[in-house]
Amino acid sequence: MRRGTREYTIWSVGIVAIIIAALFPVFWLLMISLKTPATVGDKRLIPKEWTLDNYEALFKGGLDSPLLQPLINSIIIALIATTIAIFLASFTAYAIARLSFPGKSLVLGGSLAIAMFPPISTVGPLFDMWRALGIYDTYIGLIIPYLTFALPLAIYTLVAFFREIPWELEQAAAVDGATPLQAFRKVIAPLAAPGMFTAAILVFIFCWNDFLFAITLTSSNDSRTVPAALAFFTGESQFTAPTGNIAAAAILVTIPIIIFVLLFQRRIVAGLTAGAVKG
Amino acid sequence: MLSRVCVAAVLCLSLGLAACGGDSGGGSNTLNFFIFNEPGGGPQEVAKKCSQESGGKYEIEFTFLPSQADAQREQLVRRLGAEDESIDLMGLDVIWTGEFANAGWLDPVPDDMVGPASSQVFQSVLDTAKFEDRLYAVPIWSNTQLLWYRKDKVGDKPPQTWDQMIEVAERENMKIHVQANRYEGLVVWVNAMILSAGAKIVNGPTEVSLEEGPTKRALEVMGKLANSKAAPPAIDTSNEDSARLGFESGDSIFMVNYPFVYASAKENAPKIYKEMGAAVYPRVDADKESKPPLGGINIGVSSFSKKKDLAYEAIRCMIKAENQITIAEKGGLPPVRSDLYDDPRIQKLYSGFVDPLRDSIEQAGPRPSESPAYTDLSLGIQRGVHPVTEIKDPQESYDKLKEFVEQAVKREGLL
Amino acid sequence: MSTAAPPQVGAAAEKPRKVGVTERARAERKLAWMLCAPAVIVMLLVTAYPIVYAVVLSLQKKDLRFPDEGGFAGLDNYVTVLSSDLWWKVVGNTAFITVVSVVVELILGMLLALVMHRAIFGRGAVRTAVLIPYGIVTVVAAFAWLYAFDPATGFVNDTFLSPDDKAWFGERGSALFVIIVAEVWKTTPFMALLLLAGLTTIDEGLYEAARVDGANAWQRFTRITLPLMKPAIAVALLFRTLDAFRVFDSIFVMTRGAQDTQSVSILGYDQLIGRLNLGLGSAVSVLIFLMVLAIAFLFVKGFGAAVPGQGDDR
Repeated sequence: MRRGTREYTIWSVGIVAIIIAALFPVFWLLMISLKTPATVGDKRLIPKEWTLDNYEALFKGGLDSPLLQPLINSIIIALIATTIAIFLASFTAYAIARLSFPGKSLVLGGSLAIAMFPPISTVGPLFDMWRALGIYDTYIGLIIPYLTFALPLAIYTLVAFFREIPWELEQAAAVDGATPLQAFRKVIAPLAAPGMFTAAILVFIFCWNDFLFAITLTSSNDSRTVPAALAFFTGESQFTAPTGNIAAAAILVTIPIIIFVLLFQRRIVAGLTAGAVKG
Repeated sequence: MLSRVCVAAVLCLSLGLAACGGDSGGGSNTLNFFIFNEPGGGPQEVAKKCSQESGGKYEIEFTFLPSQADAQREQLVRRLGAEDESIDLMGLDVIWTGEFANAGWLDPVPDDMVGPASSQVFQSVLDTAKFEDRLYAVPIWSNTQLLWYRKDKVGDKPPQTWDQMIEVAERENMKIHVQANRYEGLVVWVNAMILSAGAKIVNGPTEVSLEEGPTKRALEVMGKLANSKAAPPAIDTSNEDSARLGFESGDSIFMVNYPFVYASAKENAPKIYKEMGAAVYPRVDADKESKPPLGGINIGVSSFSKKKDLAYEAIRCMIKAENQITIAEKGGLPPVRSDLYDDPRIQKLYSGFVDPLRDSIEQAGPRPSESPAYTDLSLGIQRGVHPVTEIKDPQESYDKLKEFVEQAVKREGLL
Repeated sequence: MSTAAPPQVGAAAEKPRKVGVTERARAERKLAWMLCAPAVIVMLLVTAYPIVYAVVLSLQKKDLRFPDEGGFAGLDNYVTVLSSDLWWKVVGNTAFITVVSVVVELILGMLLALVMHRAIFGRGAVRTAVLIPYGIVTVVAAFAWLYAFDPATGFVNDTFLSPDDKAWFGERGSALFVIIVAEVWKTTPFMALLLLAGLTTIDEGLYEAARVDGANAWQRFTRITLPLMKPAIAVALLFRTLDAFRVFDSIFVMTRGAQDTQSVSILGYDQLIGRLNLGLGSAVSVLIFLMVLAIAFLFVKGFGAAVPGQGDDR
C-alpha cells in the first residue's frame, strides 16, 4: 500500500484538528489555573501574569491538604470498584451470552431499570441505610453504590462483545490439543479483552467523576473523593469563588486518568491481532 | 487476569478500609460544630480559644460544610432529617431560621440565654434568628450590602437614589453592578428594593403582602436599570463575584455588594481601591430610607444534640465582644453588636465606611426568614422576577410576581 | 475468569428438544444463576430499598419542613406534576437537549472511532486525547465553559466568533447552544470508545473481499461496518440517551435552569432538596424514571436483536 504525502497530510490535519478540539477546553482550564486571583476574570485566554500559587495551595499541609487525601481516595476507590465491577459483570455477561436460562431478560432489563432511576432520589435513603450500617464515610460506602450504578453499563457492554466472540474457536483449539484452560487463555481471552478494557475505562471514569454519592455519603477527608472535595474549596472570602484552585485541581486529577487511559487504550484493539485463530 | 487470591485480597482490603473512617463521635465533651470553612479563620480561632478557656468542659470540633450556602443547607438538612445526634452546633444562614424551627430541628433558645444573645445586638439582626416571635438561634456575625462608588467620578457624595445613579452612569458611559442571576442573590436585591419602596413581601407565613403601588415602583426601577445603558451585558447572570470582578476591572461606577469587595480590591486592583468609596444602599424614592440587604450567620443548636447545655455555654463564649472583634478582624465579617462599632479596632478595620456600615445594618430589611416555606418563596420570587431585562411593563411584572409568590406561599404546584 | 469449563457451544446449539429439563440444562441454569448472582445481589441490595421508598414517598404528602402534615395522598402529587405547564415545558427542553446532543454525538463519535481505528500514525495520542474530555470532572468542565462564554470573565466575546457584548447565558437559544456543546464535548468520547471497540471486532477480511468485489469506501461503510456494529451502536445509543435525558450538572452550573433551559432533573432537585417536598420530588423522580423506561423500550423495539438480551437466546 503506497501512502502518498497527500494521505499523510490529510491525516495529519485531521488528527491535529481532533486533538485541538478535544483538548482546547482543557487548555483553557490550564490557563485559568495559572492566573492570579487579580486577573482570573480578565477575559484573556493567555494569562497576563503567571503563577503556580494555585497548585501550591492544593498540597499545602501534606495529608491535610485540600487535594492530596481526596486524590488518594479517588484513585483507590475507583480502582477497587472497577476491578470488582469488571469481575462481576464478566461473570454475568458470560452467563447471559453463552448459557441458556430463564430470567435472562429479567437480569438485563432489571439492571437497566436500576441504572435509570434518578440517583437524587436514592441518595436520601442510602444515606440513612449507610449510617445505620456504619459504613458511612468509608471506602466501601462509596464502592458499593458505584458498583451498583456502573454494573448495568458494564454488563451490557460485555454481553454485546461476548456475543460476537466465535466460541467455536474453543472447540477448534480443543481439537488441536489444547486443554480448556489453554483454549480459554490463548483464544477466547484475547478476543474478550477489547470489551473488558472498554468496560473498565467506562467504569473507572464513572467512579472518578461521580459527585452526588461522594458528597452525600462522605463527611470527611477519610473517604471524600476529588469531585466532592472541590465543593469545599474556599476562595478569599465567602463570596469569592476559588476559581484558580478549582481549575488547578481539575488539571491535576486528569493525570491519573491520562495514565489509566494510555495504559488501557492499546488493549482495546489488541484482541483482534493477538492469536485469533480464524479460518 | 487477576487470580482469585487477588480478588479476595482486594475485597478484604476494601472491607478493612471500611473500619477506618466513620463518624467521630468524640469524647463526651466534644461539641461538633457544622459550619463552612470561613476563609479568614475567625470562627476557628474563637472556637479554639473558648475550648481552652472552658478548662476541659468542652472541646469544639469542626466538621466543615461545603463553601456554597445551598450545599451547606443540603448537608445539614439530610442529617437533621435523619435525626442525626452528632450535630451539636450549626452555622445557619440567616434565611434558614423559620424553616429549621418549624421542622423541629431547632429548639427555642433557653430563657437564660436570650439576654446574652440579644444584648446590644441590632434589632434587624435579631429578627433573622426569630420564629413566631421567639429566638431560635444566636447571631454571631452579620453582613450587609453597601453602595460602592468611584470617588474619582462622583466625588465624595454619591447619588442617593437608583434613578440618579442610572442617570450618572449613563452619562459617564459606565456600568452599575448588581446581582441578578436566578439565585438567592436576586432575592436579596428584590427584597431590598421592595422593602425600600415601602412594601413587604409577606405578612406572616401564609399571607402575601406585595402592596401594589410600592412593589410596582420597585420593579419599575429594577427594569429601568436592567434595560439602561448602565446595565452590564451579562446582568441576567450576574452574581457577587462577577460584580466584584467587573468593578475591579474599572468598567463600572457603582456597585452594590458586601464589604468583601473592599479587601479584594486592595489586593487585586489597588488603583481602583484608592478611588473606592462606600455609602448606604441606594434609595428607591428620595424620601424613603432604604432597607439594605442583611446577611450573616446565626449559631443554632440542633434539637437532637445530647449536649445542649454545653453547646449554649460554648455559644455564650463565642459571641463575647472580644471574639466578635476577632472574627471581624480575620474575615472582615461585621459584628452583630452595635456598641462594637465604636471600638477603635473596628473603626480601624472598616476605616472609611464604619458609619455607612453600622447604619446599613441598623436600617437593614431582612428577607422573610421567619417563614417556614422560605425556599418556596425564594424560588417563587426568582421565577417571578428573572430575567430582570424582561421587566418592561411594571403592571405585567407585578402580576407575574404576585402570582408566583401566592403559589409559593401556599406551597402549591411545581416551582 | 471462572475455572469451570464452559459448556460446548456445538452441543448447546443442537440441544434436543426434550420434555422437561435435562440434567445438563439444569446444571447450565445453576451455573448461570451462580454467575449472575453476585452482580444481581449487589445491585438489589443498594437500590431495592431506595427505589421502593421513593415510590412510597411519591404517594404521600411529605414536606420535611412541616412534619405535622403528612399522610397518604394517593396520586395527588402526580396530578400536580402532570397538570403543571412548567413540567411539560421542562420535558420539552430536556427532550430537545437529549435529541440534539445524542444525534451530534453519534455522528461525531462514529467519525472519531473511525479515525482512532484507522489512523496511520499517532493512534495512541489520538485515542488518549479523545478520551480526556470524558475524564474531566463534570462540574469543572461545565464551569470552564461557563467561564469562557460569560461576558464578564471569558474570552469568547473577544473573538470573531461572537459579537462583543453577547450575553451567551442571557438568552435561551445561545444558552442551550453552549450547554449542548459542553455536553457533546464531554460525552462524545463515551460513544467513540464503545464504537471503536465495536469496530475492532469486525474482521478485516470482509473489507478485503468487498474491495476485491469493487465496493467503494462508502459502500463498505454502509454495507459492512454499520450492520456489524449494530450491537455496539445499540449499547452506546441506549446508555447515552438515558444519561442525556437526565442531564443536570452542565445546566446547573451554567444557568441554574434559567432562561427556559431547565431539565427534568433540575426540576426534581428543586422540589426534593430545595423545597424539601419529598412527596412531590419523589413523584417527579418516578415520572422521570417512567419516561426513561419508555425511551429504553423504544430503543429495544427499534434495535431489536442488536440489543443484548433480545432476540436470540443462546
